[in-house]
Amino acid sequence: MADKAMALMRRDLLTAMRYRSASLLALAGAAAELAAFYYLAKAIGPSFRPEGMDYFSFLVVGTGFYTFLVMGIHSFLQTVEEAQQGGTFEVLMTTPTPPSIVLCLSALSAFSRNGLQFVIYLGAGLLLFKQRLQSPQLGASVLVFLLAVVIAMAIGMMAAALQVAIQKGSVVLWVLGSGAWLLTGTLFPIADLPRWLQGAANLIPLTHALNAMRSALLEGTARASLHQELAVLTAFCLFLMPLGLLSFSYSLQRARLHGTLSSY
Amino acid sequence: MDAIVFESVNKVFRRHRTPFKRAASEPSFAVRDISLKITSGSVLALLGENGSGKTTLLKLISTMLLPDQGRVLVHGSDTRTHAQQVRRHVGFAISGERSFFPRLTARENLEFFAALDDVGPKLRRDRIANILARTGLLDASDVLAMHLSSGMYQKLAIARALMKQSSVLLLDEPTRSLDSAAASQIRTLVQALSAEGVTVVIASHNFEEIAEVADSVLLLRRGQVAAAHHISPVSTEAIHSFHLKGTAEIREAACVVESVS
Repeated sequence: MADKAMALMRRDLLTAMRYRSASLLALAGAAAELAAFYYLAKAIGPSFRPEGMDYFSFLVVGTGFYTFLVMGIHSFLQTVEEAQQGGTFEVLMTTPTPPSIVLCLSALSAFSRNGLQFVIYLGAGLLLFKQRLQSPQLGASVLVFLLAVVIAMAIGMMAAALQVAIQKGSVVLWVLGSGAWLLTGTLFPIADLPRWLQGAANLIPLTHALNAMRSALLEGTARASLHQELAVLTAFCLFLMPLGLLSFSYSLQRARLHGTLSSY
Repeated sequence: MDAIVFESVNKVFRRHRTPFKRAASEPSFAVRDISLKITSGSVLALLGENGSGKTTLLKLISTMLLPDQGRVLVHGSDTRTHAQQVRRHVGFAISGERSFFPRLTARENLEFFAALDDVGPKLRRDRIANILARTGLLDASDVLAMHLSSGMYQKLAIARALMKQSSVLLLDEPTRSLDSAAASQIRTLVQALSAEGVTVVIASHNFEEIAEVADSVLLLRRGQVAAAHHISPVSTEAIHSFHLKGTAEIREAACVVESVS
């Protein structure tokens, strides 16, 4: 398994190195975003403290972690989409390595890259603009991170299943992503939403992932007070992971029957 | 011992409904009621015009497609219920020119697929060098896949299929874009693999190629077996006459059907 993971990471690294300009542009984009958030928080002023947190830190953790998770989810869909368009999908899905493993390992490579970007984004945001984390709970934040990755992988499998089935899954994901951006409390606390929308927001696992990550990193909350969010995240993991695996497996089986495995 | 068995296999393709066309279109049979057995170590050639079902047959063996009815068995494993076991046995050189990562070199592509094909890291380097040499790709091993010619791409597809040293090798028009020297090299390779006990199924339009490598020939027409013959020794003339005879048999049958209806 480790050998296969290395092979996939090597493939992605080599490809990224040979697309140097795209990687540099992504870094420049992240830097511009950080600067925009800093000046937005400065313009709003220090009196606005969502859930008792400094607004710039609230934004950096929220947008950084949200972007990490959404890019992770998207990487599943992208893996399938690129393989369909590049003509490698049929071959990848008929190696002795089970298709769900190929997909997860491909996404793992993307998660590692995005995870590193998240840490750099967070670190750069806090260091460059001289912000400090208030007694962060690193153990709890790692736990939240891992649970959120499992949830993102499960949703990613469903996105990949959608891509296999309709070959235009990115459109559906874009629509859902736009709604999630509003509802998960990335830019502002969900307490500011109407009550009925707060109910919908609580059904989205990313809302709980962002809440838990902010609590762990910014509030310095004792682990006990994170229990509720951790329990919710665990429940989402247990429910979504089998669903993700089943939906991808069903979608592949259907494509093999309908002869659409190579369609794009 | 049979390496591959088809039991009354049907494969139907249905066109998707479009928003403005609600009625389901007529299903088209890609493969219709095919039963056959392929002996281990033999070379079977699939012959037939475009759309006759040759590639579909190969894809059914490789698990890229699943049958709608009937069963396909590879060394006794059902492609539907034991797909992973089947994939360990089967190497497939597909004919398309877009099945590699364009920004990786030929060697890097082979290394990547070798890992997914369960070829251990210790074996990989030597095996890749050996296969690159056998397929005439050594000089192009460090060239990015996107810069390979059609012929090189085709050789790379064959090299990938050989990587896991499978007992069943499927070749879809393997010499279509190759010059005569390279085509001859691939034919010699097929003969050598057959001598080593590998079962080879080859789809081709090239009579000379079939004459040189095949033990038996299956003529397909509109997804059905039009004729199956073990021709020994296989010769270009024998295949020509077999092809003409098979085509004539189908025309005859079609005339009978038309006259009855």
